[in-house]
Amino acid sequence: MMDILIVDDEPLAREELRRLLEGAPDVRIMGECANAIEAIGAINRQKPDVVFLDIQMPRVSGLEMLSMLDPDRMPHIVFLTAHDEYAVQAFEEHAFDYLLKPADPERLEKTLQRLRRARAPQDVRVLAGASELRQIPCAGVNRVTLMKLEEVEYVVSRAAGVYVVGADGQERFTELTLHTLQEKSMLFRCHRQFLVNAERIKEIRFQDGGLAEILTAGGHTVPVSRRFLGALKERLGIG
Amino acid sequence: MTVEPFALIVSLLQQMCVYLVVAYLLSRTPLFIPLTHVTVRWPHKLACYVIFSVFCVMGTYFGLQIDDSIANTRAIGAVLGGILGGPSVGVSVGLTGGLHRYSLGGMSATACAISTVVEGLIGGLVHRHMMKHGKMEPLFDPVRVGLVTFFAEIIQMLIILAVARPFDAALHLVQVVAAPMIIANTLGAGLFMRILLDRRALIEKQSSAFSAKALKIAARADGVLRSGFNEENSQRVARILYEETGVGAVAITDREKLMAFIGIGDDHHLPGTPITSAQTMQAIANNQVLYADGNEVAYQCSIDPHCRLGASLVIPLVGEDDRVIGTIKLYEPKTKIFSTINRTLGEGIARLLSSQILAGRYERQKTLLAQSEIKLLHAQVNPHFLFNALNTISAVIRKDPEKARELVQYLSTFFRKNLKRPSEGACLGDEIEHVNAYLQIELARFTGRLGVDIDVPDELRSVRLPAFSLQPVVENAIKHGTSQLLGEGHVRIAARRHGGDLLLTVEDNAGLYEEKPGGDGLGMAIVDRRIRNRYGDGYGVTVACEPDVSTRITLRLPLETVTA
Repeated sequence: MMDILIVDDEPLAREELRRLLEGAPDVRIMGECANAIEAIGAINRQKPDVVFLDIQMPRVSGLEMLSMLDPDRMPHIVFLTAHDEYAVQAFEEHAFDYLLKPADPERLEKTLQRLRRARAPQDVRVLAGASELRQIPCAGVNRVTLMKLEEVEYVVSRAAGVYVVGADGQERFTELTLHTLQEKSMLFRCHRQFLVNAERIKEIRFQDGGLAEILTAGGHTVPVSRRFLGALKERLGIG
Repeated sequence: MTVEPFALIVSLLQQMCVYLVVAYLLSRTPLFIPLTHVTVRWPHKLACYVIFSVFCVMGTYFGLQIDDSIANTRAIGAVLGGILGGPSVGVSVGLTGGLHRYSLGGMSATACAISTVVEGLIGGLVHRHMMKHGKMEPLFDPVRVGLVTFFAEIIQMLIILAVARPFDAALHLVQVVAAPMIIANTLGAGLFMRILLDRRALIEKQSSAFSAKALKIAARADGVLRSGFNEENSQRVARILYEETGVGAVAITDREKLMAFIGIGDDHHLPGTPITSAQTMQAIANNQVLYADGNEVAYQCSIDPHCRLGASLVIPLVGEDDRVIGTIKLYEPKTKIFSTINRTLGEGIARLLSSQILAGRYERQKTLLAQSEIKLLHAQVNPHFLFNALNTISAVIRKDPEKARELVQYLSTFFRKNLKRPSEGACLGDEIEHVNAYLQIELARFTGRLGVDIDVPDELRSVRLPAFSLQPVVENAIKHGTSQLLGEGHVRIAARRHGGDLLLTVEDNAGLYEEKPGGDGLGMAIVDRRIRNRYGDGYGVTVACEPDVSTRITLRLPLETVTA
């Protein structure tokens, strides 16, 4: 069985693709997402085998979304777009596949056959390029805030999800995992639940028992666990 | 020495004739131009003083020695100086002439000096009197001038009788010279004025003929070359020049070949053939007017040794950056002399035509630019929109064939409106229909994620505006506005009257407008530029953006209604 996630901001486009895919016997559609933010969460939670991904979407495009996924658990990505001849050229070699809308059922069947044959997941590091994450999409009600990495003070993982905190102290929810953020950005792991922006560390207060506390430029405190203190000191060039 | 009065009259008249010949010759020089008008300004007054003083002194020298006095035509200079230059000039000329006469001595020296000043004064008073009554033309009337001189001469005789001593000698002198001097001076002054009048008439005739010709050519040639510097238009301009200047032949060339030729020699000077004349090539290479009069500078037709043309004037046509783009050539046959008027005229016309060609090129470039901008607007619309629309329709077909048919209808309306030529004017109704067709497709694409409001009063639907003004703005509001929202987007299009203006607003609830030079704002920048170009800087596009809340684009246009 092939688990598939459909990501497109147009309901009719999703519907059309779903109808085309449902004809295949070995395909299970796990869900549909209307934007990249929803998709990141769904991919992290549901771990689909294949993502059919639209390129033009609100705020975070399909291409940008790739850099926000956990590189170790990357699904096969099939791009679907109405018209983008440059992207066709650029991604012919790297994307697993690239379909044009309206999708031709025969062409789609070829894609599915290739997917069935494919064993190892594609190397998306090539696909996503050397692109570092430059901003973190944070979902609000009805809209997405794109937070620039240099404005981030720290990131905290709670039971409810991952939150990005800037100098203003406001916690913004993001679908990105701590693991993805650590891999894709210069944010530094200082605690099992915390990533800190090393650029914004103002001081480190050492405490008993090999613990420490970071005071950020914005005046927030971030705990440092024993396990990560050594690495932090090394990173900052202190003994 | 006693002289027969009649003989004296004849002699003095002879002297006066010589005097007038000098006056006539001088009148052919530019020196006399200031004298052809009544003089008010100081530089003119000065010129008037100098010239008439010379004539005044000359009058003394051309006089006839009688005893120890001189029968003379001095009065002419003094009176005319006064009449044309006013009392100050008259008295100054009189003083100059008078002092000169005084320096020669004799019985009547003092009397003559005084009387010359008085004569100048009389002329000046006449000038002042006439000026006061605003009558300048009578000052140039030879008969009146003669009468004034006649009167002034009688005064002179009286002054001689009153001042010169012994009285007997004075009386005798007056008896002898009175008649000759009065006659000679009266006639002389009148004729002198006649010479001035002729001179003036000549200048005016020349300049008015010149202006009339120049104006006529300019009027006839106006705009001909604007539509392009090609053979057909050149031929028309050459025809006009040929007819108006009356020269033997007219040619127009570009940098390489003959574009037009009309007149003598058109049997072998054929349009379309390459330039062969060394002069033309030199004129083009050096941006230089070249004149070969056939005498000092030899002229020989470079094509046919038997060509009847004997003189040529080559004037470069200058385009952008002083680059020569061609020449105008005027020819006269060997039997005729090139008139100065035609030479000056030719240069003026070449300048006029040069600027016309330039203006035409500029206009064409502007139109081209505007057209290519419109094409760009269309190109921006087409591919994404088209394929997304087709994808949407393909999804709708299965579910709701009737709805799909409707969408196809909207799509064809949209493209039909898009294919409309941009030069055609549009009314707000047309634009709304265009935008509506576009929006219906977008509404189907973003089902549940887009809401649209159109609030345009019926009476405003006939207002004129440049085609494709509204659609790019609405498209921007969706593409860079509402479609970037995760939740529902809303676009509101409204039109209202504001004084004599039409305000069109397109408002979205995204508030994501960013000024990006050359980027996504291009469509809108073009809309803004087109409105400004057409209606002036008071009109155009303004943007009000409250980040994350709303973006409102306002188009301000004059309320011009279509008269259907």
